[in-house]
Amino acid sequence: MLTDAMGLILADNRRIQLDALNQPRALAAVPYAGRFRIVDFTLSNMVNCGIKRIGVVALTRYKSLMDHIGTGAWWDLDRMRQGLYLIPPYINPVTRAPDRTDAQGIIDFIESGDQRHVFISSSDYVSNIRYRPLLERHLESGADMSVYFARDGHIPRAFSLAIELDDQSRIRDLMIDYPGRGSRLNAFGLIVISKSLLLQILAEMMARGIADFSIVGLLQLYRQFSIQAVEYKGLLFRIYDTASYFDASMRVLESQVRCELFSTERPIYTKVKNRAPCIISPESGKVNNVLASDGCAIMGEVENSVLFRGCIIGRNARVTNSVLFQDVQISEGVTLDHVIVDKNSVIKMGGKLLGQVGYPIVIGKNSIV
Amino acid sequence: MARQEMIAMILAGGQGSRLGVLTDYIAKPAVPFGSRYRIIDFPLSNCTNSGIETVGVLTQYQPLELNSYIGNGHSWDLDRNNGGTFILPPFLSQEGNEWYKGTANAIYQNIPFIDGFRPAYVLILSGDHIYKMDYARMAAAHMEMKAEATIAVIEVPWSEASRFGIMNTDENGRVLDFEEKPAEPKNNLASMGVYCFSWEVLRQVLIEDEKDPNSKNDFGGDVIPKMIEGDYRVYAYNFGDYWKDVGTIVSLWESNMDLLTKPDEINLRDLSWPIYSKNPQRPSHYLGPHARVSNIAVTDGAEILGEVRNSIVGYNVTVAEGAVVKDSLLMPGSRVGEGAELTRCIVGMNTVIEPDVRATPQVKDGTEDFLNPLCQDHITVFAPGLIIRRGSAIAGNSMIGPAHSRSHPHIAGLNPDHVGREMGPC
Repeated sequence: MLTDAMGLILADNRRIQLDALNQPRALAAVPYAGRFRIVDFTLSNMVNCGIKRIGVVALTRYKSLMDHIGTGAWWDLDRMRQGLYLIPPYINPVTRAPDRTDAQGIIDFIESGDQRHVFISSSDYVSNIRYRPLLERHLESGADMSVYFARDGHIPRAFSLAIELDDQSRIRDLMIDYPGRGSRLNAFGLIVISKSLLLQILAEMMARGIADFSIVGLLQLYRQFSIQAVEYKGLLFRIYDTASYFDASMRVLESQVRCELFSTERPIYTKVKNRAPCIISPESGKVNNVLASDGCAIMGEVENSVLFRGCIIGRNARVTNSVLFQDVQISEGVTLDHVIVDKNSVIKMGGKLLGQVGYPIVIGKNSIV
Repeated sequence: MARQEMIAMILAGGQGSRLGVLTDYIAKPAVPFGSRYRIIDFPLSNCTNSGIETVGVLTQYQPLELNSYIGNGHSWDLDRNNGGTFILPPFLSQEGNEWYKGTANAIYQNIPFIDGFRPAYVLILSGDHIYKMDYARMAAAHMEMKAEATIAVIEVPWSEASRFGIMNTDENGRVLDFEEKPAEPKNNLASMGVYCFSWEVLRQVLIEDEKDPNSKNDFGGDVIPKMIEGDYRVYAYNFGDYWKDVGTIVSLWESNMDLLTKPDEINLRDLSWPIYSKNPQRPSHYLGPHARVSNIAVTDGAEILGEVRNSIVGYNVTVAEGAVVKDSLLMPGSRVGEGAELTRCIVGMNTVIEPDVRATPQVKDGTEDFLNPLCQDHITVFAPGLIIRRGSAIAGNSMIGPAHSRSHPHIAGLNPDHVGREMGPC
């Protein structure tokens, strides 16, 4: 089904730090749930609602993101008309710094699309979300833009967009990262806006020299434009720090969560890797409450953990409450608890790494411990 | 069309009747293999890994599943600007073409297709073998010997040689004669059904073979013997690695089990020679809090809550808590209910085993009507798309198909969700 809208994905967020996890890669390219990356959810949500033209705005560290999305073929976005557009930042040829014309790439992308509306999504949440209700409510209300919010209450450790609404559910106050007990309604990064208004806002931004284009920046315009807030009641994981990332990762071990995130009606697509099936060897120990992926070979014991593709768990190793990214090798006799190990890292024989509940240890990409 | 030096033709039209109900509605090359593959993934991946860019897939018997699986060849990187993947079913023409009469006739009918690429060499492959082979090396040997036909052969144990087509060769590997299933074999080099031909020669031989009213138009039975007799330069190419024909229930079961018992022989983990497949868009597989698993291969979308040992588990398979599965192949989308007990079973795609079904070699009170000579060694086969009713007892060597939903409705039914839907845990 066709939707009269294009999609714009903001792949990075300068405010969000996930320790070593988003140092080598944009936030959107952070791996999630065994074989996916955060951007897979946003791209799939857009494709599943009939959007055929999607721009991905990168800031820095976008090599991994580009490798992942490629031509967009995995989301059926390698089209002759429309499809996927990667919008890298504009660098000033003299100063080598990001240019004031940063937004020009976005403007070009929006201008050349013939759709009337634009969905703008950030990459700091994971959800299998339907966009249509937001668009329908937006059109009904006649607001200038509309945003989804969730009643997930007061979010500790910052990064909240607490909103207060008037009697027509329009935003009348916005508190960013407010530490006190304010509104329990929090907007999240999905906005729909008309193409023409977005172009106007972008032109003004450029003229004023504001290069950073973000969801927060748009919401802050609530005094100038009417912003309709629409409640989202489905499953939503916000990713704003390492602990929230770790919690969201562990939640996929719940079958109800997997069913909501990976609905057969609205599949989440990702880049295909042709790895062999996962082998659980005869000498393996307990393998319980584990999400494991193709190419894994499990010879040790694994509990309450998520293994990405190609992980190798050696004999007598014991991995609990951990997340291991692609091609991590855990050697014989190693013990891991509450650890996130980034891609290609090796934990050598006999090591012991114990994190704490709420404070997982993070081992950076390509490390040898 | 741009010229292609070598193209491959995969014979994928056979029924595979010895696989019984597993191939009632799908062609043998589309039968699932090794948790995440179909049999045809092996020749297709070999082609792409060998640098072959044009592949014709000859289909005839029940091609729907195979055609939709292969699509435009994208999953194997065989969607190309020049060449690519072509599904080649039999077709009608002014001369009144007909069904493919035999393997050689299938190629004969597609001479115009092959001519379009003006190839120097044509590979003839079959869609029902499990092996990893660099066809480029075979072609190099073909060129080096200035051969007109090169036949890939594998050494089989002398004791089994009389089950195969055996090549007798001279010291240079030139084939002196070919005996189909000889009673007293003079050699132990068995033909793998993988041939490399110089196209101009094969083209002529096929045209002559077509004129011969006594020919069955088969490569192994007619074309190869004729070429040897006719003093063409026919050479054997010795292939030393893993190769398995999966033509029977027992060999299908065994070659699947080889992935667990001899993982280094076919070595699917070798990243330099990946076996590609059409990947299901599902999350990773989940092993539940009380799951007991050992010696299994498992892939995307599967959910194991019960006990599974020494088994191959396909994508989107679910095994409920309290179920016990041993020495079995659970093909994609199959479900095993609570308390069910399966040993040495092959469960077809999207078949539902309801709770408390017992299908093991120990079952003595099973229905005799289900016993089938195609099933040996106490292996039991469930066709794709069935429902096996709660509490049924099924003895070893049974084969249960859609027809049994009429004759034994209290034991077997048809799964209405089977068609047109990817089944999964949710």
